[in-house]
Amino acid sequence: MALLQLRDLNKHFGGLHVTNSVNLVLEQGEIHCLIGPNGAGKSTLFRLILGEHHPGSGQIWFADEDITALKSFARIRRGLSVKFQVPGVFKGLSVRQNLEIALQSRLHGAALDKEIEGLLAFLNLEAEQAQLAGNLSHGQKQWLEIGMAISLKPRLLLLDEPTAGMSPEETHMTGEMVRRLNAAGMTVLAIEHDMAFVRQVAQRVTVLHLGQVFAQGSIDEIVADERVAAIYLGQAHA
Amino acid sequence: MDIATLVFSALYQFGDAFAFLVLSACGLAVIFGMMGVINLAHGEFIMCGAYVTAATVHAGLPLPLGILCGTLASACVGVLVELLVIRHLYERPLDTIVATWGLSLIATQGTLIMVGSTMAGVGTPFGSFQVGAYSYSIYRIVLFVAALAVLGALYALFNWTRFGVLARATIQVPHMAAALGVDTRLIYSLTFACGAGLAGLAGGLYAPTMTLVPTMGATFIMEAFVTVVIGGADVFLGTAPAGGILAIVKSGMTSWQGQLFGQIGLLIAVIIVVRVLPKGISGFVLRERT
Amino acid sequence: MTGFLGLFRRLEGPQTLGRGPAFWALFALVLAGALAYPLFSDGYTVGNTVYFFVWVFIALSLSLIWGYGGSLSFGQTAFFGIAGYGYGILTINFGASYGFTWIALLLAIGMAALVAALLGYFMFFGRIGGVFLGIVTLAVTLMLERFMAQTAGPEWRIGAARLNGFNGMSAMPPLTIPWFGGPIVLFADVGLYYVVLAMLVLVYLALRILMNSSFGNVIVAIRENPERAEMLGYDIRKYQLITFVIGAALAGLSGVLYTVWGQYITPSSMGMTAASLPLIWVAVGGRSDLTATIIGTLVVLSGFQALTIYGSQYALVFMGVLLVLTVLIAPNGLVLGLITWVTKRVARRKQETA
Repeated sequence: MALLQLRDLNKHFGGLHVTNSVNLVLEQGEIHCLIGPNGAGKSTLFRLILGEHHPGSGQIWFADEDITALKSFARIRRGLSVKFQVPGVFKGLSVRQNLEIALQSRLHGAALDKEIEGLLAFLNLEAEQAQLAGNLSHGQKQWLEIGMAISLKPRLLLLDEPTAGMSPEETHMTGEMVRRLNAAGMTVLAIEHDMAFVRQVAQRVTVLHLGQVFAQGSIDEIVADERVAAIYLGQAHA
Repeated sequence: MDIATLVFSALYQFGDAFAFLVLSACGLAVIFGMMGVINLAHGEFIMCGAYVTAATVHAGLPLPLGILCGTLASACVGVLVELLVIRHLYERPLDTIVATWGLSLIATQGTLIMVGSTMAGVGTPFGSFQVGAYSYSIYRIVLFVAALAVLGALYALFNWTRFGVLARATIQVPHMAAALGVDTRLIYSLTFACGAGLAGLAGGLYAPTMTLVPTMGATFIMEAFVTVVIGGADVFLGTAPAGGILAIVKSGMTSWQGQLFGQIGLLIAVIIVVRVLPKGISGFVLRERT
Repeated sequence: MTGFLGLFRRLEGPQTLGRGPAFWALFALVLAGALAYPLFSDGYTVGNTVYFFVWVFIALSLSLIWGYGGSLSFGQTAFFGIAGYGYGILTINFGASYGFTWIALLLAIGMAALVAALLGYFMFFGRIGGVFLGIVTLAVTLMLERFMAQTAGPEWRIGAARLNGFNGMSAMPPLTIPWFGGPIVLFADVGLYYVVLAMLVLVYLALRILMNSSFGNVIVAIRENPERAEMLGYDIRKYQLITFVIGAALAGLSGVLYTVWGQYITPSSMGMTAASLPLIWVAVGGRSDLTATIIGTLVVLSGFQALTIYGSQYALVFMGVLLVLTVLIAPNGLVLGLITWVTKRVARRKQETA
């Protein structure tokens, strides 16, 4: 069953066609990775899905509902959640309070405390719970934000470069987190450059290039595709 | 009254309002547009320009030279303020508002202590002329021309000079500009001085038309704020058209119900515009373009 | 019952300084001192103390909107004035019998809240924030002062109440409690002192509960990162608007109490200088904490009063310098900085001896 459908989505910034007739179907329960050279329009696509940008034309369907005209917070309440590219934690608040703010619309009292403990363990942040989120390492901030994003128990989790700035070990741990979440039923759409991570988690991969869907398939198909290699090489030369 | 005099009267009112809005606002707009800083002491820079202009005219200088002195004096104070205060707050835009607000309080009360509650004014030059049954001040026409000249000069400064190009580069990609060897601190400093100088110029130009009191800055800032809020961050795409639109609102309301309602009209216009165009006219124009 | 107890638990939390028996013992001690104070003083001095308390409410409103919510508003002074004039207009027209002054107090606060709701709707739903919010609210405040200043003519009257331009409105009745055997009129001495003190304690505790509740969590989250807050499913515009309206109501309470205290109000109570003073108290105290804001307000206000002996211009210059230096050197506020420093020292000392 399709959970998210982008139908003929277009977004211009003046003459620049950053999203060009994008059609994308995300199946319920899959981990889907979005790759592509810089400037391919990956982050813009996320912003369109989240309602931070509005498309010039086209539709966004989520769980059999047209959400194209909805405000961001309303989309979140329908079961979307996101971790931003630059970690968006509440820097001046403690790690614990960050999680509390994410959880409080769903849980109260003792249940809330119990869920926070569980999340802290899941995120390996038990020792840091009283620290200000702004004082965490970059990798820890990423985890905290993933924790906040999954606190909402979303049906679809959007991850924008979840492993940026992480060591290979941390990247691997993040991959395992994502797989555990997926095993528990969460659909995941991730933008990622780290091919080791993509290989670790992705069931399907979509390549975005110049605002268009360039290729789609399993990770092995994508790696074997010479045209995909060519656009990355072209990027390297540019 | 025949149609021609009616039209002339309306145009005159419009030009007067336009000049006041643009001259009040452009210093604020340059600093906000280029640095993202709202200078709440803007009114006091205007006051400084007016006071220095009046003082030099009393000392025997002709008015244009006096205005020049007022402009330069404000610019110098601007350099000092940037160096001592603003420079340390670039990362904290809300704190710059608070700090410049404190500076405004110091300047107003300090002037009150040192100069007293009023200062002898300067007579309005050029006299007046008659159209139909009404007489009009020639100096108001001069002010309108001055407003246009300031807009033209700013356009030339930021598009055709080395300073202007470097300034815009610094604003858009500060790290890149710094990496290319541009002294970004100097650019910020000069931009702030330029904004302060423009405020001083506004003060100097209006010195002959108003009573000089330490709180005279407050007369200008409302108009300046409103123009910058409606215009947005770009002086040419924002301040100039905002000045035009607001001048119609203000002169229309003023001739209908008096000066106070002209100002209330401005305020209502701004509150409605922020709901519709949160980034101002220039934000709207830029979004359509890019 | 558990819900009620839950409220008490919210008296402490991450958003407010002070927790545990030591803090509440100190709180009780200060409160006891404040309650006993009129016994050791004369009516005139007590009346002047009320004047200090009156300003604390507007300071708290600014702490709420600016310190907790992250939106700098210069509109508090406008709401102060609207409610102050509102109370005057109502009571001059309808008198003080049958406890009407209290209804007038509520109605006047309601007026300020209503104006805030309208203005806030345009600003927050237009998604302007940051510096623009500051200048739009400042423009509103200045406009209101200019408007009131030109109402000197006899045509500016609402019922029996003349607005009186720059001279302001006066001779409105003070708060009056209807009582058997004649109403109790609260002039600016001991009676009013206890009433305002009670309001202050109530507002302080209520705000502590509010800020440590889930609502307060969202408010500080919006200050820290509005985009993230929205992406957790919160309609941040609504939260900002509600905070703005609560703040306006508090500023309005300040305005009514000011009017009640001196039985007059003038346009200059909403001018530039009037708008700058609360900002200074709150900035110097520590805007992001209620307790620090109250202490800062009372300390700076007393300092200001002491300085005006040498001339109010000098005092204002000093206030300006204080504000600029605070922003440059202790951006979180002097009182708050001092409290955090001391608690850290104490904690370290405890650790060393343990």
